[in-house]
Amino acid sequence: MSNHTKTILFKHSSKKSPLSGGVWKLVIELVIAIGAILMLLPVVFIFITAFKPDSEIIHFYSILPRHWTLENFREILENPAEVPIFRWFGNSVFISFMVTALILLVDSLSAYALARLNLPGKRIVFALIIATLMVPGQVLLVPVYLILNWLHWLDTPLALIIPAGAGAFGVFLLHQFFLGIPRELEDAAAIDGCSRFGIYRHIVLPLSKPALATLGIFVFIGSWNDFLGPLVFLDSVDKYTLPVGIALFQTSYAAEFGLTFAACVIATLPVLIVFMIFQKHIIKGISLTGLKE
Amino acid sequence: MNNRKLLYSLSGYLFVLPYLTLFGIFLVLPLFYGLGLSFFRWELASLVPPKFVGLHNYSEALTSPYFLKALWATFRFVVMAVPLTVGSALVVAVWINTVPLKRQYYYRAAYFLPVMISISVAGLLWRWFYNSEFGLFNAYLSLIGLKVPWITDVRLAMKSIVLMTIWWTMGGAMVILLAGLQQIPDHYYEAASIDGANARQRFFYITLPLLRPVLLFVIVMNIIGSFQVFGQTWMITRGGPELSTRVLVQYIYETAFTHYRMGYASAMSWLLFLVIMIFSIIQFRILREKQ
Repeated sequence: MSNHTKTILFKHSSKKSPLSGGVWKLVIELVIAIGAILMLLPVVFIFITAFKPDSEIIHFYSILPRHWTLENFREILENPAEVPIFRWFGNSVFISFMVTALILLVDSLSAYALARLNLPGKRIVFALIIATLMVPGQVLLVPVYLILNWLHWLDTPLALIIPAGAGAFGVFLLHQFFLGIPRELEDAAAIDGCSRFGIYRHIVLPLSKPALATLGIFVFIGSWNDFLGPLVFLDSVDKYTLPVGIALFQTSYAAEFGLTFAACVIATLPVLIVFMIFQKHIIKGISLTGLKE
Repeated sequence: MNNRKLLYSLSGYLFVLPYLTLFGIFLVLPLFYGLGLSFFRWELASLVPPKFVGLHNYSEALTSPYFLKALWATFRFVVMAVPLTVGSALVVAVWINTVPLKRQYYYRAAYFLPVMISISVAGLLWRWFYNSEFGLFNAYLSLIGLKVPWITDVRLAMKSIVLMTIWWTMGGAMVILLAGLQQIPDHYYEAASIDGANARQRFFYITLPLLRPVLLFVIVMNIIGSFQVFGQTWMITRGGPELSTRVLVQYIYETAFTHYRMGYASAMSWLLFLVIMIFSIIQFRILREKQ
């Protein structure tokens, strides 16, 4: 920085702001609070609108319903054959759990070996895995579809579970975390005759709970909200996951606004409850992904 | 003895084997399979066997008005969505960071909440907001005599998609940036304040330089994600009006799974991959150079 610009900077900074720091802080917080309300309002609308009769949704009078009704929910719950929303919910829970379990298992095993064991050529293997971090999912869509077709896995949960285990992100994240665990503990265990798997199971895994939780949350949310995968790989309505099932309301029940919002509530409520309970962990998990480099 | 040692070392690969199997079958194989496919004409629904056509699929894409239109729509989305999403996330993160920790916790959760909403729910909701006849936005705008063609006007539709995207994704970028901000040691700011730096100077000379690695990560991830935009446009506009919001992934999806042109779809997805790579490299270069 030249002397000239320096003087300009300090001249500028010496000007006292007309408002004191405290007032500015209050104004900023007020703006943040209004913004927070605006972010939440759309979600609140889903819940309120689900209790409106169709006529009030089509002719908008007020945010709150004039006549509160449970009709929309009744209609959905009474037609499990037509709108198998709980089936979709179960499918989503099953698939997301399996994906998370699979990824935590295979990624932690391989990350442990690549970070800790004396494997010949492991640097090359790790570099190869990391290189695929840049590959966008859509490039794999068509060939994976053809491979799944050949395996006869299309339209089964396997199509969404097994290929998800191939991603490199978890291996990378856990590898970096394992490198940070002090070696002394493992060395001591090895001297006591603990096998490599024993060290992984009884020392590395328990010490890595925060990293495993971060990865688990990240993977679970990703799988739960995956849209393109189930859209392409699933065919039968009763095998759908929640996102593609709910998307049917855009076409099959396009005119049924009340029904649509009731379905959205059923799909969103469990997510909101889980979010409220694990909020701290979820946000921490997501925010850590940017810092681990 | 040495042989046994080597064997023992190699047996460590058993730990890596489960992952490498999946990695091989569902990442490396499809990557090259897809690249190979892109040089073939292959209609899955027809009985005509796949035929090698060289670079024909690529030249067809690059001269097809539909492909170029989808590419253009994707560009428009990226150019609007990335700066607005990351920019607003940065502002919100910096401001939330000035709020006392106890309340910060609630604000952070509020801004993050939309990220948790599934795209189909979010899409259906905003489609209703944007509906020109009985949508929420126009119901209120009609009170002042306005009727905005949110998703029915060719010039406006993509902007409406971007607005919804900011709401839906900004929280994710925000919490990452906020975590980055909180890693900057307080005494940097204290020292700067003693030297007489005002809030703006502190932001440009302390916050931004120290936040650069995290910011770079957020921007690159956002660009990669935005080039693959699909859910929002699929749910809200289905690519309309007049294909003005039909983005590349939707076009690839339709080419592959409605028209079953697997080779052509593969070629287009490799072109998109190429575009994403070029942009990521440029980003890294620009942000690295400034250091």
